Amino acid sequence: MELDAFKVAVDAWLDEHERELACDYEGVGTLDQQVAQLRKVMGMAYAAGFMRMGWPERAGGLGGSNLLRAYLGEVLTARDLVEAGIYSLPEVLAPTMIDYAPEALAAEMVPKLLSGDEIWCQGFSEPGTGSNLGSLACRATHTDAGWRINGQKVWTSLAQYAQRCVLLTRTGTPESAHRGITAMFIDMDSPGITVRPIESMHGAEEFCEVFYDDVVVPLDRVLGEVDGGWSIAMDLLPYERSTALWHRASYLHRRLGQLVSAAPAGTLDPTAVGEATQLLWAFRARSRATQRRLAAGETLGSETSIDKVLVATAEQAIFDLVAEGLGPDVATGDDPVSARWRAEFLYSRAATIYGGSAEIQRNIIARRLLGLGDDR
Amino acid sequence: MEASELELFRRGIRHATETCGDEALDAALDELGWRDALVADRNTAVSLLFEAQGSTVVDSSALDWLLAAALGGQDGGRTSVVLPLLRRAAPPGRVSAGRCEVHGLGTRTVARADETVVVAEADGGPVAFTVKASSLELRPVRGLDPALGIVEVTGDLNAAAGRPVDWEAAASVGQLAVGHELVGLARAMLELARQHALDRVQFGRPISSFQAIRHRLAESLVAVEAADGLLAAAWEDPSPVMAAMAKGLAGRSARAVARHAQQVLAGIGFTTEHPLHRYVRRTIVIDQLLGASSVLTRQLGEDVLERGTLPPTLPL
Repeated sequence: MELDAFKVAVDAWLDEHERELACDYEGVGTLDQQVAQLRKVMGMAYAAGFMRMGWPERAGGLGGSNLLRAYLGEVLTARDLVEAGIYSLPEVLAPTMIDYAPEALAAEMVPKLLSGDEIWCQGFSEPGTGSNLGSLACRATHTDAGWRINGQKVWTSLAQYAQRCVLLTRTGTPESAHRGITAMFIDMDSPGITVRPIESMHGAEEFCEVFYDDVVVPLDRVLGEVDGGWSIAMDLLPYERSTALWHRASYLHRRLGQLVSAAPAGTLDPTAVGEATQLLWAFRARSRATQRRLAAGETLGSETSIDKVLVATAEQAIFDLVAEGLGPDVATGDDPVSARWRAEFLYSRAATIYGGSAEIQRNIIARRLLGLGDDR
Repeated sequence: MEASELELFRRGIRHATETCGDEALDAALDELGWRDALVADRNTAVSLLFEAQGSTVVDSSALDWLLAAALGGQDGGRTSVVLPLLRRAAPPGRVSAGRCEVHGLGTRTVARADETVVVAEADGGPVAFTVKASSLELRPVRGLDPALGIVEVTGDLNAAAGRPVDWEAAASVGQLAVGHELVGLARAMLELARQHALDRVQFGRPISSFQAIRHRLAESLVAVEAADGLLAAAWEDPSPVMAAMAKGLAGRSARAVARHAQQVLAGIGFTTEHPLHRYVRRTIVIDQLLGASSVLTRQLGEDVLERGTLPPTLPL
């Protein structure tokens, strides 16, 4: 299906099912409510076929361009039916499985993710491994019974809801750095896994610590090659900065629009509003070009770090305006609408931290795009 | 344009802007068929030439030709167009009581053009007058960037023969052209700073290895690509709002890159022995042509706040 026909079909379907699809809570909702809403919307969109479009047939999809996925997430976000951040998690997880899992495993598992039947999480960061992913220490030891995992992950989004996890483990020596990392597909109900949600500044327990104590993983759950996990992570990070960011722009567009209509006259500096608008439009222009390159079969690389810097800058500029124009609501409003502005303002503070910090993105730009060589 | 034709055209433009400027560049552009390209594929003709002019700090009559064509006059090939004063994007003339008072700027083309188009605000909307250059008073301006050859234009014309024109549409295309020139300037300044950072050794290592330098340069590339991306999107939807937004961001980006490049180039960049100063001068002046970035940005914000809605979104 072509993009234009897809847009018409999706929009008509959303209009027709407006009532069933709508959130049944006001304001930001609890994380439980957000996840339940996400599963409901994904389930309905999957049953209607839309959620399967833009994904390959060998993984349960219906084929077609990535632009279809980009539009679906954009419009679901624009209509405030899903929270863009958690909706976009499959944009990184599904390509990992499709590109690196044994074919039968991908065919079995990806539909569970896309239909909302399952939630998956991504176990990359560790307490001692933030920006320096190559230093991760969560150990996987080869045994006859399978891989035995011991270690700790942190910042694992939605781990408390997840049935599966894409986990990066250390299979080489501690000194092997990026050469000794292996990716695995883990069942979260395996014995030995403990999940401890972290209460974040914005009030939700979206991120978790996950402890792995002698967790046994079948040998056929390795993704890609043993010790080849680094290239998987590197191949996937550009995905984290493409379709997911297009969805995020849709969210920012909705919130900036709501802000400029809700902020009392005289509370916002017109220049700051103009700057934030320019930034968001520039990001959308750039992200659209990225989407089109992806649709044309191009491989994404370090240039997506520019997209990431731009969207994070736009997000913080917009929510800095929220803190001005709706300052009293953010500071003292206890109604659901104010609580949502507050939570989202606080969440925006992390935009330059998660998914590769702003500093790491600038390091990538300096080294890979500007050819400035090593930084030491 | 076909891919092979486009590549030839691109190379021709690059060669022309690297080897000549001013009248010689006008001649080279005629030889390359730039004005035919302007009719056939305006986006390509404008973006290639103006970015190339920016990256080599040269100028031509192309902005005059572009505006004259957009204002729909019979273009004999030697027509110039009076520009608004710096910071402003409104027409440079004002009609009242049968007279047209003119106060604007011209490129150096004005002095040698056969005819000059003056657009003026009038009660029924903007009107254009085509006049001999001799009927206007031209005062050469040196200022910050003498190499640009700008003139101040004043005049008091008989307002009888005005024809209605779409000034907003013409100014929008002009804004996109200047936006591309700003991107060209910014890319060139970034390249000067990048090369210097790789060459300059302090504390026994190239200064490009210091994160403070690297992040300034990375920030500059983000600014350039943001502006370039928005300009490209504006060509797909050439509305006055998009053009103003794209030029506003291009100006802000070029000024930011100028600041970073100046700091990275440090002492040598402060001398006239290094070319940076020519780029900095040109940036500050042309940022203010057809609406300064500060004005366009503030205006965008005021419009958004007044209406309580955002401009039309960019569709996938």
